[in-house]
Amino acid sequence: MKKKVVSVLLVAAMGAFTLAGCGGTAAAGGAADAGATAATEAAAPAADANAGGEEEAAPTADVASEGEHELSVYAWDANFNIPALEAAAEAYKAVDPDFTLNIVTQSGSSDVEQAVTLAASAGDYSTLPDIVLFQDHYIQKFVADYPDAWQDLEGANINWDDFGAEKLSYSTIGGKHYGAPVDNGTAVFAYRTDILEECGYTIDDVTGITWERWLEIAKDVKDKTGMALLSMDHSGDDLPYMFMQAEGKSQWKDNTTPDLVGNETFKKIIEVIVQGAQDGTIILANSWSDYTDQTIVGDQVAGVMNGNWIIPTIEQVDANSGKWALTTLPTLDGGKEGYAANGGSSLYITANCTKPDLAKDFLAYTFGGGEGSMETYDNALKNGGVITTCISAGKSGVYQEGVDYFGGQAIYADIVANGANVPVVQQSDFHYNMRTLVGNAITNIINGANIDDEIASAQEQLEFEIAGSQN
Amino acid sequence: MTEKKTKIKGNMIQRRLIPSYIFLSIVAFFSVFPLYWMITAATNTTVDVARGKIWFGTYAAENFKNLVANTNLWRSMGNSFLYAIVQTLLCLFVCSLAGYGFELYHDKGKDILFAILLMAMMIPGVATMIPLFTMMSKVHLLDTVWGFVLPAISTPFMIMMFRQNSRNFPPDIMEAARIDGLSELSIFFRMYMPVMKSTYAAAAVITFMNAWNSYLWPRVVLRKNEAQTMPILIANLANGYTVDYGMLMMGVLFSTMPTIIIFFVLQKQFAEGITGAVK
Amino acid sequence: MGGTQLKKSGMSVGAKQKAAGWGFLIVASAMIVVFSFWPMVSALITSFKTGSAANMKWADPVVFNYTRMFKDKVFMTSVGNTFLYLIIQVPIMLIVAILLAQLLNNKDLKLRGFFRTCIFLPCAVSLVSYSLIFRSLFATQGLINTILMNLHLINENINWLGQTGTARFVIILALVWRWTGYNMVFYLAGLQNIEYSVYEAAKIDGANGWKTFWHVTVPLLRPVIIMTFIMSINGTLQLFDESVNLTSGGPAGTTMTMSHYIYNNAFGTGVANFGYASAMSFFVFIIVAILAVINLKVGDTRD
Repeated sequence: MKKKVVSVLLVAAMGAFTLAGCGGTAAAGGAADAGATAATEAAAPAADANAGGEEEAAPTADVASEGEHELSVYAWDANFNIPALEAAAEAYKAVDPDFTLNIVTQSGSSDVEQAVTLAASAGDYSTLPDIVLFQDHYIQKFVADYPDAWQDLEGANINWDDFGAEKLSYSTIGGKHYGAPVDNGTAVFAYRTDILEECGYTIDDVTGITWERWLEIAKDVKDKTGMALLSMDHSGDDLPYMFMQAEGKSQWKDNTTPDLVGNETFKKIIEVIVQGAQDGTIILANSWSDYTDQTIVGDQVAGVMNGNWIIPTIEQVDANSGKWALTTLPTLDGGKEGYAANGGSSLYITANCTKPDLAKDFLAYTFGGGEGSMETYDNALKNGGVITTCISAGKSGVYQEGVDYFGGQAIYADIVANGANVPVVQQSDFHYNMRTLVGNAITNIINGANIDDEIASAQEQLEFEIAGSQN
Repeated sequence: MTEKKTKIKGNMIQRRLIPSYIFLSIVAFFSVFPLYWMITAATNTTVDVARGKIWFGTYAAENFKNLVANTNLWRSMGNSFLYAIVQTLLCLFVCSLAGYGFELYHDKGKDILFAILLMAMMIPGVATMIPLFTMMSKVHLLDTVWGFVLPAISTPFMIMMFRQNSRNFPPDIMEAARIDGLSELSIFFRMYMPVMKSTYAAAAVITFMNAWNSYLWPRVVLRKNEAQTMPILIANLANGYTVDYGMLMMGVLFSTMPTIIIFFVLQKQFAEGITGAVK
Repeated sequence: MGGTQLKKSGMSVGAKQKAAGWGFLIVASAMIVVFSFWPMVSALITSFKTGSAANMKWADPVVFNYTRMFKDKVFMTSVGNTFLYLIIQVPIMLIVAILLAQLLNNKDLKLRGFFRTCIFLPCAVSLVSYSLIFRSLFATQGLINTILMNLHLINENINWLGQTGTARFVIILALVWRWTGYNMVFYLAGLQNIEYSVYEAAKIDGANGWKTFWHVTVPLLRPVIIMTFIMSINGTLQLFDESVNLTSGGPAGTTMTMSHYIYNNAFGTGVANFGYASAMSFFVFIIVAILAVINLKVGDTRD
């Protein structure tokens, strides 16, 4: 039996090679056939795959082989962005019944960035799809570095005043609009009201307070229930950024000048995080899965603060339904509520799109506040938990409904309203370099290093990294 | 009498082997335990997985249904099989031919060439990824099986393995075949290949596993949904704001089974083939 | 018959065999040149440039990227981390592998196939999958902590992946778990090639188990040991997946490997500094090449 397997392998090997030796297009077909006999399921993709290689004018089948009414898009997150895109494609069928949206799933935003980078280094943007979903923090740099890779949205029928200013600040480059906003990254601070109550607090007691007071309450909750009041994925720690934004401050003087050393607000915020971590009231998880599964789903925390896209994760635990409520962030001085945003992405048309009019019309009609936007955003919310930054779409009935999981609170309307209050702060192309280095500094400070030394060394390394990529 | 003696002797040997059994059992347990956990996780809900439930659950059917509904499971399996089989067959053929040439026709020049070729495995893949992508894009091989396999067909490691194994191939056979009038190429096909089948089996297991599990390169060269492979499918499931771990582990299970089955089927030849490689 | 063929081709037997020998390896060699060396040359050129993908220019000075890496604290930390893994993990793994092979090579041992299969199985699991598994097992409230708590070995959960020491330990453990069986198979094969009579002779000479192992087995296994050493050194110095998937290089970059940092500079943080990434890749290349040459010089017993 085993001998047979080996000899089959060998015969097939020789067969495949002989056919491949014929050269040209026959080679592709030949080996595909050889493979197909072994895996029937594979026959179809093989034929498809070869089509790309054989057609002379077709660099990849993505764009070239698609029809008049088809657009391709790269996106990630099957539970979030992709349902939103599916909702948009469905809505646009009212305009163009033959319309199809070919959504190519990526494992994360970095895959899309990599695709653009690779296309740019090959000097050939024809490998890109018509539209890409792109992370807000990176788009400025990518448009600046590869201006030829994009087509702007000027001329699209979009009322830009209908969107939150903070969101548009990312996708507006050189005064031109490049991106159609998809989701809303407005931060929420969710608390377990049952746990707060157990310790003698209400949701109002944690709204509009100072971080100092928050740390006291958190300590109290920790002592009484053993639960922390906040957690974060420390491998990509967004707390410093969001805390700073709630103060209306930035870690940057301008795009390439970090503002850490001598920045009193920044230092105080780091002290809050370190204090919380040392008290055990802020859990700094080691990875994204640790953060979501262990701390949130695993019931280790009575509070969650992040972009509102964290809500579906909170909702995974059926047993806690009705026990959560949403509010805003504390601030250093208190007396006001803190607003911040984290994450989020927008849709951009690439240089490879041969049907810019269709693409613009599609984006304007659906995500851009056009006639189909209500349907798009309603279904995006229902199927993916994607919340809009489009003010008019946020007026839809679905947004006003109370959510049982949050004790009947109309959380979506609240989030859209909060979104309008998020201050615009100085951004930088080196956002993630900053995040990594500040995260490292926090780790070291918790482990006993001097705060001023760590801040100085983070700034030094950051300046080193910025200088290196600008030489 | 003698029978009894050997039996007693056997018992004594077995008794002396008890520490070996204990040690091996512990190592085997630790080796298999994470795999056991992977299988149980595939039968549990995402909340149970997150909380580290150690026993089998009742959610396997549901996880499987979700996996089929939410991913291109069969297509990805088919692609992975296609790419891995094409890569394995071509790699085995090209590398065995080279290993045969390097060892049985060996001279100073070929030894130097071999040493130079070995350098190809010493550079991190990230460095060559960009030029390779540019190359594949220029010749329009993105999203094709050829884009996937071409860079991995000829590898120094496989050539080395066949080169080492070829030391077991008796040169007398070649001489005899030559006298019988076989051409050099026919000797390879008719004499060398049948004799070396366990080496082929070992090489097939290793190449298949590498091809099946490769991640960075397919991520770059295969850009369409239709071309996606199992590791990419898993990575797509594992990254996102909210992850369904039960479904994910079911996917992991599906992506791991084929390599395990291949190993089981070719196990004996694999062991023999490796034996030849290290002679 | 051979004679007629000879006449037709007009070559002597020796020349024809020589040509055939080169002919056999030409395809493989050409493919390595095209798909490995050409990209390497291209990367070498890139390593002297700066800027992002679409608009690269010659660095000023040309060796800018090469001098830069020695001033880069993060890269130097990653070099240190990688060598730490190399120095600790490779010897542990290879010693355990030899030990296992030695035990499994005993003909009196029952269930040998079973043990061998179990111990080899981990390397059938894809890197993406096994990182996921290990990360879950060593999560703060993961199974390992639960077990240790129930056995009363610890009083509170250990934050395995959140502290430098334990995070490095988990990475080393994961590597040992995945690759020990793989190396064991090579040793086992090597041991099976050693004639039983050699051991008999050693026994007659009065050598005990340890002496036999050290003075008979190890020297005979030398070629295999050299081979696994080169493979392990190469694999460890290019270590990538474990650093990325298990710890994301954390805490504070203390588990990040060279390849991980190189990847971050090329794709990871959107910076796309290919010049610098290529330069660091050649640093890795040079180190691997030096270690491999040393190994090969020690190991080539044939000539």
